Amino acid sequence: MLKPKQMSKVLLTGHKDVLEPTIETLHDLYTLHIEEYVGDDYFHIGTPLSGADEGSKKLLKLRSIASFLGIKKPYHKPISARQLSSELEGKLETLGDVVSGKLGRKSQIEADLKDVQTEIHEIEAFSGIPVDLDLCRGYNTLHVFAGTVMKGADVRAGLTGITDEYQFITGNTGVFILTVPVKYREQVAELLAEYGFGEVKIPAISGTPDDLINELTSRQDSLAKDLESLSSEIDSVKAEYEDFILASEELLSIETQKKETPLVIATSEHTFVIDGWIPDDEFETMRSRVEEATDNRVYATIVEEPVDEANVPIEYDNPKIVKPMEAVMNLYARPKYHEIDPTTFVFIAFPLFYGMILGDIGYGLILLGISLYGRSKLHGDGWNSLFTVLIYCNIVTLIFGILYAEFLGFPLAGLHGHPGLIPGWETITLFAGLGGEHITYPIHRTHLVTTLLVLTLLIGVIHINIGLIAGFRNVLVKHGMKAAVLEKIAWIILQVGIFLLLFGVMGVVPSMLPGAAIFVLAVIMLVAGEGGTAIIEIPSVLSNILSYSRLLAVGLSSIGIATAVNIMSGMMFESGGLFIVVAVIIFILGHGLNTALSIIAPGLHALRLQYVEFFTKFYEGGGRIYNPFGYKRIYTEE
Amino acid sequence: MVIDIATAELDQILANQAGLVAIGAGLAVGLAGLGSGLAEKDIGSAAVGAFTEKEELFGKGLIMTVIPETIVIFGFVIAIMMLL
Repeated sequence: MLKPKQMSKVLLTGHKDVLEPTIETLHDLYTLHIEEYVGDDYFHIGTPLSGADEGSKKLLKLRSIASFLGIKKPYHKPISARQLSSELEGKLETLGDVVSGKLGRKSQIEADLKDVQTEIHEIEAFSGIPVDLDLCRGYNTLHVFAGTVMKGADVRAGLTGITDEYQFITGNTGVFILTVPVKYREQVAELLAEYGFGEVKIPAISGTPDDLINELTSRQDSLAKDLESLSSEIDSVKAEYEDFILASEELLSIETQKKETPLVIATSEHTFVIDGWIPDDEFETMRSRVEEATDNRVYATIVEEPVDEANVPIEYDNPKIVKPMEAVMNLYARPKYHEIDPTTFVFIAFPLFYGMILGDIGYGLILLGISLYGRSKLHGDGWNSLFTVLIYCNIVTLIFGILYAEFLGFPLAGLHGHPGLIPGWETITLFAGLGGEHITYPIHRTHLVTTLLVLTLLIGVIHINIGLIAGFRNVLVKHGMKAAVLEKIAWIILQVGIFLLLFGVMGVVPSMLPGAAIFVLAVIMLVAGEGGTAIIEIPSVLSNILSYSRLLAVGLSSIGIATAVNIMSGMMFESGGLFIVVAVIIFILGHGLNTALSIIAPGLHALRLQYVEFFTKFYEGGGRIYNPFGYKRIYTEE
Repeated sequence: MVIDIATAELDQILANQAGLVAIGAGLAVGLAGLGSGLAEKDIGSAAVGAFTEKEELFGKGLIMTVIPETIVIFGFVIAIMMLL
């Protein structure tokens, strides 16, 4: 539980004839982390098994179909792999034909549509001109100008100085068609140039522009309709084949993965050697299964050699309930092989801190609901862990909520004559706390600041010292007793010294001498263990412990926001009339905001206490990820 | 009559004192918060840059970013001590 899974380095070796069943068995077992072989003189990297090429080709085809159909990855009921592989070939063929036909039609329609749109765009310039476009070209004695001039230029007036033999027609868009005898061409061109003439090409079609536009628009509509019906056809193909595509993609990925395995292992002319890591308790199963599958023609053995910590792949070894916390660990770093795996500590402390900070029945219930709903709707390991962690956190929040008797910032029980939300529930004074405060049930955090502050610091002392003890164990394993005492126990002794000094100042202990003596001793030990820099680190003990006061501080700020929202909406509500609506809006928005903050603030602060204050006492992290050879099936089952 | 004025003045003085303490507590938290913010802004932007390139650095980046946050916690503790 507190250690990563114990791993053994294993070698499997055998004749190449039995490579395929070996790979098959290892793949099914899903326990061996294969070390990729990087060639040397005698052995060389293997070649893929037969059929690898074909498999990858099919996979490629399938993936391109999937991307054309726009298939995402929803969760389906798994399909039997055996049945699927028997019908895969034929079905893939049909699917390929269907899809390629549709793909061709789709691109044809899209190209046509684009052509029509360009034509419409060209002709639109001439809209409103009641002339067949065919009549605008092909003359020997006439020249046709078509285009625009700048605003306000009067072409007709200009033309009077040249000739009155012309035809000038303008349309709706300001484009005109001007026809003059060829002999005036130069002069008219010059005139038009003065007016800032911009030529517009006359499309080579026959018919009047308006008729043409009508015709083309209806064609465009029909093409769009075709495209739409084609899309719905594609959608129905997608709906029909989605399960098949996802499942066969998985099946083919698995096939290809198996077939390409020789690329990462060492082979000679007739033999193969697979080098890898396996959890200790899995070795015997693996050996017997492989031997069974290959008629004892593969030899599997554990390599007894000193383990280099950096090379061992790390697999967590935690009870199921603690597992989701591994996501929180991965965010920081996986433990190293010989280190304590602190997941269990985090499993206890993280929800505890979160709940202590938030401690509100209302927010706890809302967030519990959200996370339960989220866990049922969103799948995948990441989401699952996230929501499960949130569920843990909010169960603890509910417990603290009952202890604090808070509901969305309202106190549930009455105090000092102020009634609570539940009529008749009065706060009971239990016993005296610190600084003249009284510990009550329910606990009113705003009225018990000194006591809770001291309590949070005490929690800090406990948490940090658990970290130091874990650190003692880690250093002991790695560097021996002397280093462990000087580097870790010294910090504990230092704290004892500081507390004795404090008690001395406060007069609890008659003399400050023992405190000072222990303090100096601890400093000497630290300097001996960690060198002079340890002196700079000494104040960090205090700042680390004081840091735990955020367990109170962040909670108080959350109460502050909730109370502000409640007071504002309460004032609005009392005004009556339309203000009641405003009050409701303020209430919902305010508490919505505070709910969102209730995930972020307590979450981040609780996390920080783990990462900064706790982990720095013992945890290095940085282990390799254990990535066993195999495949996690989602869409198929054996 | 004389006694009344004296009591009123005493109330005034006490109220003033309480107000000054509150301002002091506010300054303690507020200025400490500013200090934390100033320190965190540089570290934070660097950390975000680092972990967009290498995701494993998230944890370390978070740690580096929140280290100066202790300053504001000190401010908070002082403020609480002043108010009590």
